[in-house]
Amino acid sequence: MEKVELKTVIKDWRLHAIAFILVAITEAIGQFSIAVGPGVILLLPMLYAFFLGLGLYFTPFISEKNAKNAEPLIILGVTLLIAKIGVTIGPQIEAIIAAGPALLLQELGNLGTIFLALPLAVLLGFRRESIGMTHSIAREPNVGLIVNKFGFSSPEGRGVMAVYIFGTVFGAVFLGLISGLLATATPLHPLSFAMASGVGSGSMMAAASGSLIGAYPELEEQIVAFAGASNLLSLSTGLYFSIFIGLPLTEKLYSIMMRRSERKAAKGGGPNA
Amino acid sequence: MLKSVIEWTWVLAIFGVAALIGNWFGMDVLPWEAIPGMLVLIAVSLVGLMLEKALPFSMPAVGYIGILAIIISLPWFPGSDYVVAWTSQIGILALATPILAYAGISVGSNWADFRKLGFRSFLVAIAVFLGTFIGSALIAEVILRWQGII
Repeated sequence: MEKVELKTVIKDWRLHAIAFILVAITEAIGQFSIAVGPGVILLLPMLYAFFLGLGLYFTPFISEKNAKNAEPLIILGVTLLIAKIGVTIGPQIEAIIAAGPALLLQELGNLGTIFLALPLAVLLGFRRESIGMTHSIAREPNVGLIVNKFGFSSPEGRGVMAVYIFGTVFGAVFLGLISGLLATATPLHPLSFAMASGVGSGSMMAAASGSLIGAYPELEEQIVAFAGASNLLSLSTGLYFSIFIGLPLTEKLYSIMMRRSERKAAKGGGPNA
Repeated sequence: MLKSVIEWTWVLAIFGVAALIGNWFGMDVLPWEAIPGMLVLIAVSLVGLMLEKALPFSMPAVGYIGILAIIISLPWFPGSDYVVAWTSQIGILALATPILAYAGISVGSNWADFRKLGFRSFLVAIAVFLGTFIGSALIAEVILRWQGII
């Protein structure tokens, strides 16, 4: 946060004027939904705002300096979002406690990343990069963990950085698009997806749960409370989860997969045959 | 500390204006009706940011902010009715839109790195996010059903 002087951020009136205009225009346009098979993809103002903002970066309206100055507004904007989520959780504390077992255990769902993405990464030809890529969703604490253990220029470090960059650029938008689609297209309950939205990043949670609210406005309060509680849990336990479960498990599975493909190679065929 | 607090207040206020505009255009809540709630959220954020600087624990500001906001809105907390009533004037999406507007502007500077990723990395990254999202939703579904909550 101290990378740029907050004073210059505050005085960047051009940046703020553009942000205000983006928000006004996108909110005035409002929400649309596109039917895709049995589900819908929700197009929300926040998605238009993201893409318009990104597009403006390539025009003379936004300079590199404006873009850098936008970072503290994201960080402090997320604090307001977390505060709003907190005051939504308070009145529903009994419902949250009742759902405690589900909240705690769904944190294990993060392992889904390893089981789905690690085999894919290995199949696509990644080697030790795949450990950095798939042990977690690669937010800042996890980048720290990998860099600390393997070094920044190690294959693992390159892997974690690749997913980190993808997440920074498209994480929120991607989760926003798929959460509405999955919640409407699958038989799973929107509140299960609300809990899944709490991946440990404020903007990703906002986008994922925002789409759920767009699809199920009558459940707004509960969606926010479940997503927020899950996010708070992910924030506080996520790194330890990675240290003690996620990373060791990824390394173990990786070595099993490698041994198997080596055995296959020894038999003759070679890994690509 | 004081200098930081003043600067945080300014940044939060600027962001608050953006959110109030979004709230007005998107949810038809007039800005002055949402101002008390926004002031509450800004105050909670400021206290959390100050606690992060002042206390020796390694908890990030959002941790303090989340806990503090939950406490002041608990039914038995004095004045929580006002906290809940005021902040209910501000939609969660009205806060999300300016975050993503600023995020869009800001990630432009990561675009060069992003383009270097390559298609295979892109596929794996999608599987990473899909995996945790679906994994968590499946477990939550099983337990919530088993408990009879949904």
